[in-house]
Amino acid sequence: MTYKVTEEGNISTVFLNGEIDMDVTEQAKEVIFPLVDAGKEVHLNLKDVSYMDSSGISVLIESHQKALELNSKVVVKEVSKSVLKVIMMAKLEQILNLE
Amino acid sequence: MDISESKDFIVSTSSLKEVRVFSREVFEKINIPQEQKDELVLAIAEAAQNIVKHGYKDIENTTDKMQIKISLKNNELEIGFFDKGKPVVPGNVQHRKLDDIKPGGLGTFFIKQIMDGAVFKKDQKGWVNHLVLSKKIN
Repeated sequence: MTYKVTEEGNISTVFLNGEIDMDVTEQAKEVIFPLVDAGKEVHLNLKDVSYMDSSGISVLIESHQKALELNSKVVVKEVSKSVLKVIMMAKLEQILNLE
Repeated sequence: MDISESKDFIVSTSSLKEVRVFSREVFEKINIPQEQKDELVLAIAEAAQNIVKHGYKDIENTTDKMQIKISLKNNELEIGFFDKGKPVVPGNVQHRKLDDIKPGGLGTFFIKQIMDGAVFKKDQKGWVNHLVLSKKIN
């Protein structure tokens, strides 16, 4: 997994790339959680994520819940077809902010 | 077409990519839709992850291996997982409830969604656990 972060006003966009599994979830959390904790609105761009397993989905859930606690939000954007399928399998399409 | 292929992997999160590569290579030989192949790869990766996460909980840097065997016979796909981790008590293996939105338990939930069957067998010669996932392939 690789990533890039861009900032625009109070919005931080994290562009994730590659396959997200248990081996890289700590790395993903280290990138995303501090931005959420800082009160930023975090956009996770998943257009270049080709695979995500339950560990990756858990990072999305935790990020979403953390943001809610801080009255902020995490928006999951440009979800690739394969990742969207996993999100839907987890019945999370109505829970996460998908754009 | 009948298939029987197996491979050993070090029990580690860093092996999960290798597990997916192996699974994808085997499924390349089977004439099923790509979407179904992707689902099967996910189920296999989740089961392997459960071995690392639960079977070897609190055990770091093990040199133990797990074995994954993918077999196809008479359109019945069978995927065996052998490991030497903590003995699994099948009744304790639970997936999350649908309305319980929290991290954890999702892997087993995915496996149940994708596969027709998931059974721990007692024929694990030399191993501690033997999980068999099965699915009818059309």
